[in-house]
Amino acid sequence: MNKAIYLNRKKLLGLFILVLIASALYMLVEVNFANEKLFNYAMKIRTPKLIVMLISAFAIGGASIVFQSIINNTIVTPCLLGMNSLYSLIHTAVVFFVGSGSVLAVNANLSFVVDLLLMGVIATLIYSYLFKKTNHNVLYVLLIGTVLTSFFTSIQTTLTRVMDPNEYDTLLTSLVASFNNINSEIIVFSLVLLAALIFWLRKDLALLDVITLGKHQAINLGVDYDRCIRRLLLGVTLCIAIATAMVGPISFLGLIIANLSRQLLKTYRHSQLILGSTFFGMIVLVGGQMIVEHVFTYSVPISVFITVSGGLYFLYLLLKSRRA
Amino acid sequence: MKKHLSTIILSILLLIASLSSLFLGVLEMNVSGLLSGNLEQIETLLISRLPRLLAILCTGIGLSVAGLIMQQLCMNKFVSPSTGATISSAQLGILVALLFMPNSTLWSRAFFAFIAAILGTWLFVWFIQKITFKEAVMVPLVGIMFGNVIGGITSFLSYKYEMTQALSTWLVGSFSTILRGQYELVYLTVPLVIIAFIFANHFNIVGMGKDFSQNLGVSYNTVLFMGLTIAAVLTASVVVVVGAISYIGLIVPNLIAMFKGDKIQGTLIDTALFGALFVLVCDMIGRTVIAPYELPIELIVGILGSILFIGLLFYRLKNGRKSIRLGNASNNTSCCNCTPKLEEN
Amino acid sequence: MMKINNLIKKYGEKTVVNDVSFEIPKGKVISMIGPNGAGKSTVMGMISRLIEPDTGHVEFHGEKLHHWKSKELSKKLAILTQSNNIQMKLTVRELVTFGRFPYCGGRTTKEDEQIIDKAISYMELDEFQDRFIDELSGGQRQRAYIAMVIAQDTEYVLLDEPTNNLDIYHATNLMKTVRKLCDELGKTVILVLHEINYAAFYSDYICAFVNGQIAKFGTVEEIMTKETLSDIYKVDFEIMNIHGKPLSIYY
Repeated sequence: MNKAIYLNRKKLLGLFILVLIASALYMLVEVNFANEKLFNYAMKIRTPKLIVMLISAFAIGGASIVFQSIINNTIVTPCLLGMNSLYSLIHTAVVFFVGSGSVLAVNANLSFVVDLLLMGVIATLIYSYLFKKTNHNVLYVLLIGTVLTSFFTSIQTTLTRVMDPNEYDTLLTSLVASFNNINSEIIVFSLVLLAALIFWLRKDLALLDVITLGKHQAINLGVDYDRCIRRLLLGVTLCIAIATAMVGPISFLGLIIANLSRQLLKTYRHSQLILGSTFFGMIVLVGGQMIVEHVFTYSVPISVFITVSGGLYFLYLLLKSRRA
Repeated sequence: MKKHLSTIILSILLLIASLSSLFLGVLEMNVSGLLSGNLEQIETLLISRLPRLLAILCTGIGLSVAGLIMQQLCMNKFVSPSTGATISSAQLGILVALLFMPNSTLWSRAFFAFIAAILGTWLFVWFIQKITFKEAVMVPLVGIMFGNVIGGITSFLSYKYEMTQALSTWLVGSFSTILRGQYELVYLTVPLVIIAFIFANHFNIVGMGKDFSQNLGVSYNTVLFMGLTIAAVLTASVVVVVGAISYIGLIVPNLIAMFKGDKIQGTLIDTALFGALFVLVCDMIGRTVIAPYELPIELIVGILGSILFIGLLFYRLKNGRKSIRLGNASNNTSCCNCTPKLEEN
Repeated sequence: MMKINNLIKKYGEKTVVNDVSFEIPKGKVISMIGPNGAGKSTVMGMISRLIEPDTGHVEFHGEKLHHWKSKELSKKLAILTQSNNIQMKLTVRELVTFGRFPYCGGRTTKEDEQIIDKAISYMELDEFQDRFIDELSGGQRQRAYIAMVIAQDTEYVLLDEPTNNLDIYHATNLMKTVRKLCDELGKTVILVLHEINYAAFYSDYICAFVNGQIAKFGTVEEIMTKETLSDIYKVDFEIMNIHGKPLSIYY
């Protein structure tokens, strides 16, 4: 048993080294070392972007693993159920109702707080209802989640068009972050928030290993199941909100990295799974963004690659899980 | 008489909605003006309003009949142009046409869209028939992901060759650009729907399964491929003219089937009428919300359609395949075994 | 000490359990039998706090069950339900280790490890202990879960249809283990069983359910009569005596 833990530590260390290499490459490839001004400029552009990618990799990777364990299924992730579109919708709706000139919309951190509060309440309501109503039938949850994604997106686009029928494209870009348009104003706040979340949920996170055994076993072993699930679900929604606020919606990232982590580590230990999925996320995002910037010279956004590969991977997982 | 009651009601509603749609718009137009021979108003009618109305009707009829045919043939209530990769394939076809023939006409683009839509639909149906899923909801899930992947390839190509701007017209369905001379392709739906009506019984039989149709002397593969081709061309002709509109092919046949059962010949006309009515109402909403601007129809359908679809799923989860029966519509060709299996946790 | 007082449970309009009261004798094996839908598993769920009763309560060591802290209860009472499908990669030993969770949280002490070792040997799982659960056969998996319950080291052990999906060999061995849990380790074992003869051969008391109510509760000899069983199951029975135990034949 200890051998397995030791082996996994080694694997995680390997991943971590890859993260470092990817980050270093991202910062230094095609940078002008000779000219100090150009060098400083490149650093100034690249540093916040790198930090944002690392944070979102953690938020998405952690949230996906936790969510999968909560509902005891590895092909469902919060983003597939439309949580990130819901966040975009909430953000747009807030700007829609308070007006794009008001303090709430102009101050990035303030509007982020309002979005988070709304997201916490609304997402918990919607998704608890969804699970309850479908009796945790995973296929229905997935299908309804996919429909919800398009539902939220449609409303969001409609609101944007209503706000400004002529310039809605520009408005949309300013409302929804993306990899070419990251939201770096909220870095500090997000870091504090994530730290607070981990502290607040530390006991519940420790219970995840037991929750993996299923509801009945968890209760049998003395877990206050419903309360624990509620808190973790709230944590998941907030993590997704943070990631979406910074880099915009990327639906399939969580699915890919969470399952890669599970396949590599083959363990139930969530501390290791979360770390693994975070590292995979960092490698995919940072490495992918580097390729996008230097090979495709920004023409194709990274989310396109993630969508295509993630969609194929999802089909593979779905068919594999249903073959039996 | 009672049998045709729903058809009559739908026809009347559609007629009323069509007339009111004609008089909805920015430019002034009214009955007295038209009757008194006001040239400007007659021009508005002929160049803009009437083409738009006809395009809307053809779209509604085309997409919902395409959905109905696909659902019958695949024995699954959740297959449709938007959950069966047809729409995304048609978009990919259009992009390919734009890439290889930058000066292509509407008709040559349509040709590419037809080919792509047909191939995409065949591929998808071949795939789901090969796998044979136990749960009915697996099929739309696989279909949506299939569509996502094809859509991803489309957006990769369009980013790579800087065609995003050009392609955006076909990504979000909208009737705002419908003018005389640019939409006539959509009339293709009329002969196709007539063919579908003639072969309705064949589709019904094929939907009952391979052995069943062979027993009745119907060539399974021929009818299957013919039906899918009709559905794909119906869809693609709408996509080329209007752009993508989701959910119609999914929602409309299901709602009608809930009331009238699954026998295709009895429901085909109602499905077509209701589809046209649905699109027409959505279009009128899109035109009034932020008048004088208008919202693309795809957004309105996206909102209403997803609500209806989720309602449908919840209803089915609760009641299994039981449908709301009015009167004594009996022939329930129960086509799939889809009582949802409740998995524990 | 476990006392069940007037339990009622309804699902929608349907009353699944209707006013059930009985007392569980300590240190014995008690089997709950009855036709499908008689409410056995629901009663089991309510005894083990997995299901909340609509009215009535279960008294455990003089305290109402829902007043117990879940964590404390998990040191006194263990339940094994029918559906145990884990999607995670978990070895047998890791699963059994979870049995110590109520005592030590995530970190096991030397003493815990010893108890885990014992539980694994008790269920003869030594050679499988590093195999993943999803790679085992049904019988081996069931034994691993029982080993976890043993490691949980509780006075009361509740098993909901433990012989389901097991072949005759494994099912019989499982019932022997149940007997051993009671005779050697002094535990009170409560079972839901479909197979009447297992109940007759391996338990001390039988509680027979029909339509959400207790048809009869008593010793094996009291329940295993032609008349009682025919009444409960609505088929004809013959009772034979083998090795001093009443066994039934139904046709």
